[in-house]
Amino acid sequence: MKSIVKIVLLASFALVFASCEDVVQIKLDEGSGLYVIDAFINSSRTDQVVKITNNSSYFSNSQPSGISGASVILTDLTENRQFVFNYTSNGNYVYTLAANDTIAKINHNYSLSVVIDGVPYTSSTTQKRSASIDSIGVELNDNNFFGGGSSSDTTYLCTLYAKDKADAQTDYYWVKTFRNDTLFSAPEDLNVNIDGTGGAITNPPSDSLDFTPPSTLLGFRKYKRHDRCKVEVHSIMFDTYNFLTQAQVQINNGGLFATTPENVKTNLVTPSGKTKAVGWFSVASVATKSIQVR
Amino acid sequence: MIETPGKTGKEHKSNYMKKINLLILLFVTNLLLAQENATVSGYIKDAKNGESLIGVTVYKKHSQQGTSTNPYGFYSLTLSKGTDTLMFSFIGYKTIQKAVNLTTNQTINIELEEEGKDLDEVVISSEKADVNVKSMEMGTSKLDIKQINKIPALLGEVDIVRAIQLLPGVTTVGEGASGFNVRGGNIDQNLILLDEAPVYNSSHLFGFFSVFNPDAVKDVKLIKGGIPAQYGGRVSSILDIRMKEGNSKQLSVNGGLGTIFSRLSIEAPIIKDKMSFIIAGRRSYIDALVKPFVKSSSPIKKSKFYFYDLTAKLNYRINDKNTVFLSSYFGKDVFGATVFSFNWGNATGTLRWNHVFNSKLFMNVSAFYSNYNYLLDFKTNTSSDQSFKWTSNIVNYSIKPDFTYYLNTKNTIRFGLQSMLYDFTPYDTDIKFSSGITTNLKSEHRYGLENAIYVSNEQKLLPRLTAEYGVRLSLYSFMGSGTAYYFRDTTSNTSLPYDHEKKYNQGDIIKTYVTPEPRFALNYVINSKSSVKASYNRMAQYLQLISNTAASTPLDVYTLATNNLKPLVADQGSVGYFRNFKDNMFETSVEVYYKYMQHQLDYIDNANLFINEKVESDLIQGLGRAYGAEFYVKKTKGKLQGWISYTLSKTERLVRGISNDKWFYSRYDRTHCLNLSLNYDITKRWNVSANFVFLSGTPATFPNTKIQVQNYNIPYNTDGIRNNYRVTPYHRLDVGATYAFKKNEKRRFKQFLVISVYNVYNRRNAFSIYFRTKDGVPNQTEAVRYSVIGSFVPALTYNFNF
Repeated sequence: MKSIVKIVLLASFALVFASCEDVVQIKLDEGSGLYVIDAFINSSRTDQVVKITNNSSYFSNSQPSGISGASVILTDLTENRQFVFNYTSNGNYVYTLAANDTIAKINHNYSLSVVIDGVPYTSSTTQKRSASIDSIGVELNDNNFFGGGSSSDTTYLCTLYAKDKADAQTDYYWVKTFRNDTLFSAPEDLNVNIDGTGGAITNPPSDSLDFTPPSTLLGFRKYKRHDRCKVEVHSIMFDTYNFLTQAQVQINNGGLFATTPENVKTNLVTPSGKTKAVGWFSVASVATKSIQVR
Repeated sequence: MIETPGKTGKEHKSNYMKKINLLILLFVTNLLLAQENATVSGYIKDAKNGESLIGVTVYKKHSQQGTSTNPYGFYSLTLSKGTDTLMFSFIGYKTIQKAVNLTTNQTINIELEEEGKDLDEVVISSEKADVNVKSMEMGTSKLDIKQINKIPALLGEVDIVRAIQLLPGVTTVGEGASGFNVRGGNIDQNLILLDEAPVYNSSHLFGFFSVFNPDAVKDVKLIKGGIPAQYGGRVSSILDIRMKEGNSKQLSVNGGLGTIFSRLSIEAPIIKDKMSFIIAGRRSYIDALVKPFVKSSSPIKKSKFYFYDLTAKLNYRINDKNTVFLSSYFGKDVFGATVFSFNWGNATGTLRWNHVFNSKLFMNVSAFYSNYNYLLDFKTNTSSDQSFKWTSNIVNYSIKPDFTYYLNTKNTIRFGLQSMLYDFTPYDTDIKFSSGITTNLKSEHRYGLENAIYVSNEQKLLPRLTAEYGVRLSLYSFMGSGTAYYFRDTTSNTSLPYDHEKKYNQGDIIKTYVTPEPRFALNYVINSKSSVKASYNRMAQYLQLISNTAASTPLDVYTLATNNLKPLVADQGSVGYFRNFKDNMFETSVEVYYKYMQHQLDYIDNANLFINEKVESDLIQGLGRAYGAEFYVKKTKGKLQGWISYTLSKTERLVRGISNDKWFYSRYDRTHCLNLSLNYDITKRWNVSANFVFLSGTPATFPNTKIQVQNYNIPYNTDGIRNNYRVTPYHRLDVGATYAFKKNEKRRFKQFLVISVYNVYNRRNAFSIYFRTKDGVPNQTEAVRYSVIGSFVPALTYNFNF
C-alpha cells in the first residue's frame, strides 16, 4: 500500500514540479559490526542458498565480506530431517538438491541454526502454500504514463492473472518478475501483497479472488518481441511480508514523502552479549509461469 | 475587627448591620457612579468600499481610555459623561476626531478614509500606532493583505501561508510541504479558520500554494501564544483568516494573469450600504498551456493536473443591530494519467449573525460546515479493467455563539460556547477484479463530539497593568455508532496485539475526556513606548493527523481521540518585552516561550497507516517540548517598510521505544531561523521588494552501515538514534518589483505588472538527503540530496482592478 501511495504521489508531483536530485558526499559515523544472515529458502528445485556476510560501511562499493567457517543447518521440524548447507564462496552456504527432492513442504515447520565462532544464532518459520497463477497477459505498451518513453521500438507490458487460495486464511505473496530469466531486482521491483491486493488491505475481503493492480502490473517493466516474461509467486509468512514491506520502504525512501528511516527487523535470535545478527529466515513455496512475447 | 468583651448581643447585631449598610452604600455608590457613565458603540468601516475594519483604535483624546474594533468592526467604549473628543485611528487611514457630548448611550458609526497614496503628501495624523505595546496580544502577528501583496512570491502568486512562514516562530520542513510549524508544533496543531470554519488541508499543488485566494481575504492574524479562551481545539496556533465582505458602495473587479494561475474577483453592492457580495475564483492553467506543445505520444497529453477554487460571501446589514453573513469556499486539486487519477479538496460554509443587544453587549453566532475529501483511483490499462478506488473524508459541523460584554471602562467580558461534531470516514475502497467481481471495503464512520464553554475577562487592574484571565472547559466524547478496539500491551515499538472489540450504537458514548484549559495574560505598560507581557495557556486537541512522511500528503487522514488515543494537551508559557522607537516608526519585540506537549502522536516502526481499521495499534503517544526566543523588528512607516525576525529554538520529542528512549530532535526543529522581508517605494509607480531566509537544516536520520539481504542494500543504523544528523542549512533570496501603469484620472481602472524572481542565486536547498543503490550497480550505494526547487524561478504577473 505504502508503495502505491508513493508512486501516485510522486507521479502527481512530477507532473507539476521538476525537482532535482544530486549525489552528494557525506561523512557518516562508523557503525558497529553485525552479522547479516540472508536465508530465503523456497520450494523450487534449484540449489538453496543461505548467505552470511558482515554489514559494511554505507558507502563501501565492494561486495560485503562473506563469513566462512560457520555451520548452517536447516531442520524440517515436522519431518525431523536436517539439511546441512556447505560453504562455497563469498559467504554463500549451499544445499544441493537431489533429483526429485524438495526442501520446502507446505505447512511444515522449520528452524535454522547458524553457528559463527561458537556462537549459535537461531530462527524458526513455517512454510506456506502458494497461489495459483492463471496466466500472464501481454499487451502493447501504448505509452501510458508509467511506461512511456522516447524509444520508437514497440514495447509490451505484462500483466499477471493470478488467483488467491480459496479459504478463510489470509495469504501473503512476494511476486518476482524476470525478463529472459534475469530477475528485476531494482528497489522499485520489490512487489509484496496481501491476498493479491497489492498489499492494499490489512483486513482483506478479497480472499480467493484475483490479484489486483498495482501488483499485477509487474512494476511496469517493458518487454520486446520474443522476450520471455516469467513470474514467480512466493507464498510467505506474515512476518516475512512485514520484513519485505519494511525493507521496501527503506530502500525507496527518497523525496518529499519519505518516512523517517528505521532499522529493518530480524527474526534471528542473538544470544545476549554477542555480536548481533540481523537478516531474515523464510521458507516459501513457489508457483511459476512464463510467457513469450509474440 | 477585634471584639471587646462586655458588649451585648444587640450591640453585636448593630455592628453587623452597620457593615451591611456600608456595603449597600458602597454598592449603591458604585451604581450611581456607573450612571455617571455612558457608552459609545458602533461599527467602523472603510469609506471607499464599506468593508468593516478590524482592530481600529477608538480612544478618548489625551487619555488611556480606549478600545479597538472586533473582527466585525464593532466597538464599545464606556466613558464618563460630559464632552469629550474621540479619536478613531487605524494604520494606513486618516484619523478622525469626533467631539461627542455624552449624556446617554450613543451609536456612532464611522467611515475611515485611506491615507493618500501620493508619497509627497504630508499626512498629519495623531495615529495611535502603539497598539502592539498597549494591547494584550502577544505571540500574535497580524498581516494586512496589502502588506502580503508586496512580498515577492513564488511564481508571482501572492500567498498567505507562505507569507506567514516569514514570521518569527513559524517554520516549514521545506518547499512543497503543506502547512507550517509554529513554535515546535506539528502542522496539524494549527487551527486554520476561514471565516471561522476550519480548513483541514490548506494546500494546493501539495504545499506550493495555499487555498486562500488573496483577492477575497481582508485580514490575517496568527496567534502563537497567549491564546484567548474563545479559541480552542488545536494546541499550537490559531490562523484566523477573515474574508472581505464585498464592496457595499460600488462594483469592483480584481483580476490577474499569472504564471501558474489566473484570478478574478467581483464584488458589488446589492443594496447600497446594506447588502453586498464578493465572489472570487482561481484556476491553474499550466496543463492547458503545455498541451499544445507536446507530442501526441507524450504522457502529458493524456494526463491532467490543475486546481481551482471559488470563494464567495454575502452579507446583509439588516439594521444597526443585526447583520448576517454567509460565506463559502470550494476548491479542488486534480491529478491524473491513464492509469490513475487523484484529487482532493475542501468545502466550507459559514453562516453568521451579529447582534447588538445594547451598546454593551455584542453577540456573534456562527454555524459552519467543513468537508475535506480525497479520491485515489488506480486502474489497469487493459480490457479486463481491474481497478482500485479509494476515498476518504472529514466532515465537521459546528455552532458557536460568542458574546462580548463591555461591562465598563475596566472590564470586558467575553463568554460563549461551541459545539462541534466530527464525522470521519478514514477509507472507503472499491476494488474491481478482472473476473468482473467487485468488492467494497469501507471503514466505519468515526464520530466525535466536542463541546466547549468559555469565559474570560480583560481587566484593567491598575492604570498600567491589564490582565486577561479566563478558562475554557472542553468536553469531548468519542461516539458511536462504531466499534471500539481494545489492545493488549506489548514490547515497545511493535504493533499492539488485538484483544477484543465492542460495538456501540448511534449516540452511545465510547469514551469522554474533559480538559479545563486556563488562559492567562498580563500586560504591564512601562511607558508609552514599552511594555512587558506574560502569558500562560493550556490547550487541548481532540484530533491528530496520522502522517509519518517528511511532508504531509493529501492522503493523510486524521484520527480522533479514542478509547486508545488520549487528547493532545499543551501548556505554554511566554514572556515578552515590546518597545517602539522613533514615534512608533519601529516596532520591536523579544519573546521567549516554553511549550510542553503530552500525547503527541508517533508511529511504531513499519506502521501500517493506510486502510487499517486497527490503525491505533500502530500509533504511540509521546511527549514533546519546545522552547525558544523570538526577536522581531518591524518598520511600519516611510518609503522603506518591512521586518526582520530571528528565532533561536529547540524542539524535541520523547517516545517510548524510539531512539533508545531518549529525547530526540523533532523533524521540524530549526535551531536558527532568520527572516528578512523588505519593500521600498522608489517612485509613485515602482515598488521593489526582497525576502531573505536562512534556516538551519532539518534533522535527519542517516544510516552508518548497510546490510545486504536478497541483493538489496538496506541502510542500517547500528546506534538506533533518530534524527542524528542535519541536512545542510536552507537559505534563499527572492526579489520582486511592481510597476503601476499610468492611470487615466477619470477612470478607476488600475493596472500593475509584477516581476519576481524566487531563489535568485539559484541555490539547491536540500529538502532531504536519502540513501539509495546506484541505478544498475548492485553493490554501490550513494547519498542523494533532494531539492524541491532546483533553480531560480522567475515569474511575471499582470494584475488589474477597477
